[in-house]
Amino acid sequence: MPVKWVFHWQLNPGTTVNSQILAEVSQCAETINGVKGRWKANLTYYKPIFRDQTAPSEIPRDFIGISLPEQPNKCYFTLRSHRIVVEADLSIQNIMEKLQSYKSRVTLVFEGFQYHLGDFQVRVGKVVPSHSENLRGIVMEVEYLPISSLEKSREIMEDFTEIWQETLSKRSLPGRFIHAEPNFSEFGLSDNYTSQHTAVQYATVMAQLIASAQSVPAVRN
Amino acid sequence: MECVVQGIIETQHVEALEILLQGLCGVQKERLRIHELHLKSGPNLGAVPSDLKILCDLEQPEPTWTVRHVGGPMRGAGADQISVLVRTMLESKASKNVLRFFYALGYKLDHELLRVGFAFHFHRGVQITVTVSSINKMLKLHATDEAVPVTPGMQLVEVTAPASSENYTEVVAAMSSFCEHLAPLLHLSKPGISTGVVPTAAAAAASLMSDGGGTTL
Repeated sequence: MPVKWVFHWQLNPGTTVNSQILAEVSQCAETINGVKGRWKANLTYYKPIFRDQTAPSEIPRDFIGISLPEQPNKCYFTLRSHRIVVEADLSIQNIMEKLQSYKSRVTLVFEGFQYHLGDFQVRVGKVVPSHSENLRGIVMEVEYLPISSLEKSREIMEDFTEIWQETLSKRSLPGRFIHAEPNFSEFGLSDNYTSQHTAVQYATVMAQLIASAQSVPAVRN
Repeated sequence: MECVVQGIIETQHVEALEILLQGLCGVQKERLRIHELHLKSGPNLGAVPSDLKILCDLEQPEPTWTVRHVGGPMRGAGADQISVLVRTMLESKASKNVLRFFYALGYKLDHELLRVGFAFHFHRGVQITVTVSSINKMLKLHATDEAVPVTPGMQLVEVTAPASSENYTEVVAAMSSFCEHLAPLLHLSKPGISTGVVPTAAAAAASLMSDGGGTTL
């Protein structure tokens, strides 16, 4: 499948995320004649249920389940602490529910527009909790349709990203898109791009969003 | 949900059962070689203790993995009256690292076994699967090549069919009717209720073997 980079919006210190940024990024894609469509993905945090909260435990604090629009019948579980990403059928979510060992705590929705720009597909979306419009972040996917090798596509992805960032910078927005590429080989993933790579990227993006949200009070203080 | 009945048959009569099933189902058998890993939740994990099975299909050129959760049986007067067990069952295909994933989540290996035999998948009003297999245990962890039978000379026969809360009575009826055809060779009953081998098995098997399944038992 085509290689994809997932970015998150990193705010400048002292600023907060708002829907105006998303609107400006979308306008930017439209100005370079992007063909528009809608896009949506879901991400759920699972946390363990303990019988005895006080007992010491080596159980992971959480793991992430994500469903992606390109694989609507699949679910991807990512356990970052153990560098594991599992692909399973959607029914695995029902199995987890039956087991009652981990509970889905928070579901986040990634939702926005996708644009075809030649051989590239760009998706820009807001990150909001399900049943809420409380904006938690902004993500962007850049997909290069002709190539599925991460290494072979690296140069063209970097070139596209540079042009894109340059176009965005003209709008003087309070931040920029960051692409923090995970070490895929640690997760047992090869150079040939799969949806498991996407799941790992989203898990990484979430870790970055949480880290930056937690660092905001420190900046203010 | 699924409907299920089980029975046992002496290995010497399995060939006759295969002939009979071939005649009844009209489909080719599929070879079966499944490594079953039974996991239990660790001591402090979960609102209640839980278990699941991870199945590795070794018959495929590249082994495939499935997570299976079998829930409790349907209860009540209605459930007691039917000869088939109706229970919740959920399955999901998964990537090969799924075992490592559940270990990391805090599940432990309780036991493992190797199921070797054959299966028939066919449609008889409803989708029915019959598996005939010997259950083997491993003397060393994961050593499927050195597995030995748990009950030498005996094989397990399992008839299952997917069902839902809306259609399970139809499924039970279709399964019961199908199981009657197997009655001369084996008793089929709800799992956990052992009915042993049937006295007519040897004669029925001999008859089947002599005419290749042409006789109506």
